Amino acid sequence: MKNFIKVLIAECHKQHRNYFNNMLIYVSLFLWPLLSFMASYYSYKAFDVEGSIVSYISGGNMPVFLLIGYMGMSFFRSVVQSAWHFSQERQGGTLEYIYLSPASRIAVIFGNALSSVFEGSVAMVVFGMLLIFYNKAALNINLFGLMAVIPIFLCASLCWGAFMNACFLYSRDSDFLFTVLEEPMEIFAGVKIPVNIFPQWARLISCIFPLTYALEALRQVTLNAAGIGDMKKVFIISIIIILVLFSATLITIYVVERHMRKTGNFILF
Amino acid sequence: MIEVNSLKKIYEVKRREKFFFIKKEKIEAVKNISLRMEKGGIVGLLGINGAGKTTTIKMLTTLIEPTEGTYTFDGIDAIAHPDIVKRQINMIAGGERMIYWKLTAYENLWYYGQLYGIENNLLKKRIEELVKLVGLEGKADLPVETFSKGMKQRLQIARGMINDPKYIFLDEPTIGLDAIVTQELHKEIRRLAKEKEKGILLTSHYLSEVEELCDYIYLVNAGELVFEGTKKDLTDYVFSGNRYIFSVKGMDEAIVIKLRDYLRGIDFESEVEHLGGNAVISSKAELSSNIAAFAVDEGLVINELHKVEPSLEQAVIKLSQNIENKGIDIA
Repeated sequence: MKNFIKVLIAECHKQHRNYFNNMLIYVSLFLWPLLSFMASYYSYKAFDVEGSIVSYISGGNMPVFLLIGYMGMSFFRSVVQSAWHFSQERQGGTLEYIYLSPASRIAVIFGNALSSVFEGSVAMVVFGMLLIFYNKAALNINLFGLMAVIPIFLCASLCWGAFMNACFLYSRDSDFLFTVLEEPMEIFAGVKIPVNIFPQWARLISCIFPLTYALEALRQVTLNAAGIGDMKKVFIISIIIILVLFSATLITIYVVERHMRKTGNFILF
Repeated sequence: MIEVNSLKKIYEVKRREKFFFIKKEKIEAVKNISLRMEKGGIVGLLGINGAGKTTTIKMLTTLIEPTEGTYTFDGIDAIAHPDIVKRQINMIAGGERMIYWKLTAYENLWYYGQLYGIENNLLKKRIEELVKLVGLEGKADLPVETFSKGMKQRLQIARGMINDPKYIFLDEPTIGLDAIVTQELHKEIRRLAKEKEKGILLTSHYLSEVEELCDYIYLVNAGELVFEGTKKDLTDYVFSGNRYIFSVKGMDEAIVIKLRDYLRGIDFESEVEHLGGNAVISSKAELSSNIAAFAVDEGLVINELHKVEPSLEQAVIKLSQNIENKGIDIA
């Protein structure tokens, strides 16, 4: 366990030092979400959203609804990007040395994701302050609900990041996952469009993304003052998703190493 | 001791044919390799053409699993217990990759040390020693991206020794290093083997390096072992007999032809080549006095006449030519 924690911290520190001082991080964590937020906000502004079928959306809190969406998106995007960076360790040759060592693969994978959760948290704080500064009156927060939602939000993103890391390790060609997952996540997870108004087929796709549940929970507790009791269903689904992702990550890590030992597929060049 | 017997690796590769059709093919990267590495010894692994050297090293370092064969590591079945092996080995590869450029040298070494679960105080001490050993004192807190090629390579060497491994796999370790650092590294490799009893396997394209360092050599070609032995065994095997360098004032092709005819009268199988203004003579017989007599008879002024030991490089080149031209008996 001691070694597991050592590796977890080391990987987290390495990933943070390696990527967080990179300009790309600031652009993807702050600039793109802000620009996307503005695009969505002004698109909605042309329409009357009063009388929406979604309980927490009104003309007054539309910007807050969107800001929460992009805050969550920024968080989850950072873990997907981190996984993509992690896959580049194959080209850099460092992945081979990680696998040459006896370090726990689970600690490496989760340590890596943990680093981006930390970075996402910084973005979350910035977005949160923007929220308060922009339209404090539109917020209707249940503090206990929020305190229960934030750990679930963090765990869901950590497990999603770890799962992505494990998937990106599987093959040299898994970079396509980045493209496949990033845009659909923004569309289907309810970042700018509430999932409730989606047709049935689109809701099925929404179910795949943990961000869907994380955003629903976050909006309920910050805009509807929903308490822990009201959120029981979302909490249970989120916990199930976290457990499924965690198990899938462990299985993938095991399968990846077996596959790599068979194919010698540790490096690209 | 590391001992592998009849190691074989077959890869299954997929080839795309037409649109969605994929054809699977099997490639035998390593066919039948047996070798030994002992503590305190330096063995060279040389390859000729697409030899399977990298695949062999990856199997020895447990990164890939052999398809067939046995691998024993200090009496342990290494194929069944790769985790035990991983703690006691490390690899040093040449080039600038495989380290994190945005991190400092210290952070790189600290990170890899943590992967081996090294206790913090010991790790700190070891990093200081290694930084000093590879001549990066005063540079340890600089980001690696500011390092020269040679400095990055030196950091690689420190990284490869971070877990104080019993066996070290050196894959082109001196590539890109200047002559002074290379000499220092050679000294260190020898010290690691002779004083610290490390078992070392070296692959290098610099055959002079292999010649200088290795006690024993394995030569592989197309996944198969074509020779094993000391450098002397290899040169004796390839160049059976003696080689002489002979030059005289005014050396030309006519003198070489005359010399060839003269020596073939003594040893019918002797060969005389005109290379770089010298006559290079190969023969199973001892011909020094005959060559000198030839020069006296012809009234030639001798500039140079001496017997030469063929280098490892010459032996490997000759052997690979033999393989290309005629095939070769497996030693």
